[in-house]
Amino acid sequence: MSESNDNTGAGPQEWRVVFLNDSVTRMSYAVMVLRKLFGFDEATAVQHMMEAHESGRSVVWLGVRENAEAYAFSLQQWHLCATIESDETS
Amino acid sequence: MKRVDVRLSIPAVAPLLDLIKSVAEELRSHLAVPIALAEADAELAAVWREDLLESQREDCDRLFSLFDQEFFSEGVISFDRDNAEAILRACAALRLRFRRTHLSTITDETLEAIEASTNIGNWDAAEQKAFACYMFLDELQKIILKYLDPMVPEEE
Repeated sequence: MSESNDNTGAGPQEWRVVFLNDSVTRMSYAVMVLRKLFGFDEATAVQHMMEAHESGRSVVWLGVRENAEAYAFSLQQWHLCATIESDETS
Repeated sequence: MKRVDVRLSIPAVAPLLDLIKSVAEELRSHLAVPIALAEADAELAAVWREDLLESQREDCDRLFSLFDQEFFSEGVISFDRDNAEAILRACAALRLRFRRTHLSTITDETLEAIEASTNIGNWDAAEQKAFACYMFLDELQKIILKYLDPMVPEEE
């Protein structure tokens, strides 16, 4: 499981943004969206995309709930399936 | 501003547009990607749904604005930085909807193999047309990502 490197020091309850695989979306499109929304470099975005492709999901962000919701919404707006999970649901 | 003009075959593309428009019509009230929030977040999901539908409608409208009078006389559509992202999203949403509806009986493995070979001879006419739409939308995405990738800064 991989996490973003700029949000690991958040508060007591952390939320994960989980990017879920789908079999339709073009990989280069998913990589572009991950780079655009999360500021990943190409290699990191490809890594997340491949993780989702192979295991069905990839954690792309970790931090406070409000921001996690905003990121998940943005992914949905680009038609990439995503959900949020708290530490308590792991 | 960088602009990419694409010349398309009107006889090949025009017959696809009606079907793509009918699928876009479904997207006015159905999300391309179901919201995957936990049951406890039903209230949040309801708020998201309306905003996402609005965004989906705007993106599809932007896509269809390409197929105007100029397209039907010259066969040319144009992409630029202003419309690229909306059209990328519209194509993504439409492809997902095609997969979920018109191409739902086809397995992922078959679809992948067909995409590589484009041999769809034994499919019925409706599936063949839906697949042509699915691939056409993919081509539009490929062109935009190749020439107008939003992550590549525009040259001065």
